[in-house]
Amino acid sequence: MITLDEFSHLIEVHSSDLAAWPSDLQIAGEDFLATSEEARALMKDYLELEQQLDVLPVPMFSGLEAKILGQSLPPRTPSLLEQLLEWLLPNSGFTLRLWQPVAAACLPLVFGIVLGNFYSFGVTFESDEMEYWEDELTMLSLNNYSENDF
Amino acid sequence: MTDEELMLAVVNGDQSAYQVIVKQHLKSVSHYAYRMLGNQKDTEDIAQEAFLKLWINAGKWEVEKSKLSTWLHRITHNLCIDFLRKHRRTQLQSEILEGVEPNQEPHENPREGSEAFQRAKQLEMAIRGLPENQRSALVLCHYSGFSNKEAAVIMNMSIKALESAIARAKRSLRKELSETGIEHQ
Repeated sequence: MITLDEFSHLIEVHSSDLAAWPSDLQIAGEDFLATSEEARALMKDYLELEQQLDVLPVPMFSGLEAKILGQSLPPRTPSLLEQLLEWLLPNSGFTLRLWQPVAAACLPLVFGIVLGNFYSFGVTFESDEMEYWEDELTMLSLNNYSENDF
Repeated sequence: MTDEELMLAVVNGDQSAYQVIVKQHLKSVSHYAYRMLGNQKDTEDIAQEAFLKLWINAGKWEVEKSKLSTWLHRITHNLCIDFLRKHRRTQLQSEILEGVEPNQEPHENPREGSEAFQRAKQLEMAIRGLPENQRSALVLCHYSGFSNKEAAVIMNMSIKALESAIARAKRSLRKELSETGIEHQ
């Protein structure tokens, strides 16, 4: 059994047409309407309100359609980036489901490449070994090979 | 053609598909905007802008998430809310200064001066006096035929909040109309 407050709320939210109410509440609403004078008065008030709302007029928008269709539209040629994204991630179709996990899997890789490109994380190419080899080459160039001549 | 096919054509720059969409949705969009704004000129501006946005952002519509009408009404709703917030002060000031009633455009019916016209006028004023979210909830659910769930999506709120707004709107109208004696005449 529903209360008058619940009945009132249901009319306000779902209209005075009981058929528009959630199916599990329609019978409870009908029963309450049959037994409560207040419910019937409330129903009558809201029915009248809805009928008055229904006849509320609106102006004729003559010429609006022509005005809208006549307005200049910006060109819809997609940019190269949009075309690339559309190819990679289409908005619909089977390929969408196919490509999405692939693209998602590639994202960390792309992120890692971009990150690695900008940040060295303390790793430098100029190691001690390189310096050693440079010294070694210098020493070799200064070496006197004449003693090997017989 | 389905909405999806039409929108795909619009994404590809097909103006004839755009025309079909305009013809299908213009009445609903313009009536919603008019009931939100209460002014014919502003309604026309908003309707134009809404369809222009549809053309520009056609690629952003996701068929799985919402129907085209829901998405288009969401665009219109956002434009109306932005417009009302931007022009609220100016509009109120001009109404007070000029001492005129807003919305004096000719209507389809009823005839001016008749009792029905006066009742409609009072009800229209009562609706215009509602807070924006209540007015929007009422218009979307009562006039535009959206379900509570769809209206909640359009207004970007929970269904519970939407239902609360529409309940408050109807309660206010019923109270106001009974106070002004419109009902039971």
